[in-house]
Amino acid sequence: MLTVASLSRTQLEARLSSAGLLVQTGAFVSRIHSPLRQVADGIDTLYGDYPLHDGDAFADFHVGLRHPGGMRRWYKPQVNFDLDGQLPFEPLPQAHAFPMLEWGLNWCISTRAHAYLMIHAAVVERGGCAAILPAPPGSGKSTLCAALVNRGWRLLSDELALFRPADGVLVPVPRPVSLKNRSIDVIRDYVADAVFSVPVSNTTKGTVAHLKAPSASVARAHETARPAWIVFPRYEAGAATSLTPIPRASAFFRVADNAFNYSHMGGRGFQTLAAAIDGCASYDFRYSALDEAMAVFAALEPPR
Amino acid sequence: MAACETWRLRPGQTLQYRQWDGECVLYNDLSGDTHLLGDGAIELLLALRRAPATRGALAAILQAGFDIDAAALDHETDLLLRDLAHLNLIDTLAC
Repeated sequence: MLTVASLSRTQLEARLSSAGLLVQTGAFVSRIHSPLRQVADGIDTLYGDYPLHDGDAFADFHVGLRHPGGMRRWYKPQVNFDLDGQLPFEPLPQAHAFPMLEWGLNWCISTRAHAYLMIHAAVVERGGCAAILPAPPGSGKSTLCAALVNRGWRLLSDELALFRPADGVLVPVPRPVSLKNRSIDVIRDYVADAVFSVPVSNTTKGTVAHLKAPSASVARAHETARPAWIVFPRYEAGAATSLTPIPRASAFFRVADNAFNYSHMGGRGFQTLAAAIDGCASYDFRYSALDEAMAVFAALEPPR
Repeated sequence: MAACETWRLRPGQTLQYRQWDGECVLYNDLSGDTHLLGDGAIELLLALRRAPATRGALAAILQAGFDIDAAALDHETDLLLRDLAHLNLIDTLAC
């Protein structure tokens, strides 16, 4: 299958500006419309490895990033995110267009993909076993995830753990890893060949940049993984590295607290999460040094 | 509560649960909530899934399964039944 990288810059911009660019990220196909240079720049930089679909193919999400009408096109220009022509968010400054696309695509999945039990968590895999990292913003989840996927782990997602209820496996949706503020430089220093989108400052999250997903992870986006570890990460400056087992019942409620649709799924959500907890070892993980964190993850033994 | 009062699992409750390390996580089919229960609570629920039972019979189950002081047994049983009823997991049969 052709990838986005097969398009010239002119062809990429033409698709974005006309019928839309149909790009597959794991289980989902998005049709993206946008005449904005910032969107084309971000896709050109970060989405080259992703499968490209023909214009008449099915898309799960039809999204656009466009200028609002009126004078704002010329004075402090803004951008709207639309899904099927609806505007779910307030407009943002035009410079925020690419992060807005990333946040919008996450929102599309987390509010619609109810065939899965969806947890706000990063997911990485090694040897068929997945580590799920549920955590609120500011916990160091994405920094840890970015480091792991550049030290031998496969990226399933930086934001969304998708459990398939029928068999309990995790379905990948490998997209760029969202980093903010000091984490951007931390990963720039830690990953020699890291490819980033242009950092965007003054967003609601501070300065934001997206790290390109490893090509090998995108190429294996159809391969599910078995949940093996649930690790609640917590970055604390200067903290000693520690990995502390936690009781399964506690892990259950903490994962449910990070779910987008646990309540929505009713008994099916309970069964899916309970099966995951059954099969996983769960830990609190505190870290400050990435090399030590990598060593701890490398030493994780698959649960019996 | 009267010792002869008969309790039952509320119709519609299927008792989807997991027991891990002395704690029980149970899905409430009627409210959609998930509860953290102790071992005594799940023992009573499992007993009531088999058949309705009197308060006296349920107290006997607790006494047999757990090291509860005889003087505290009535109080502990009443507390547990009241809590489970409050969660809409059990109710009493009409006399």
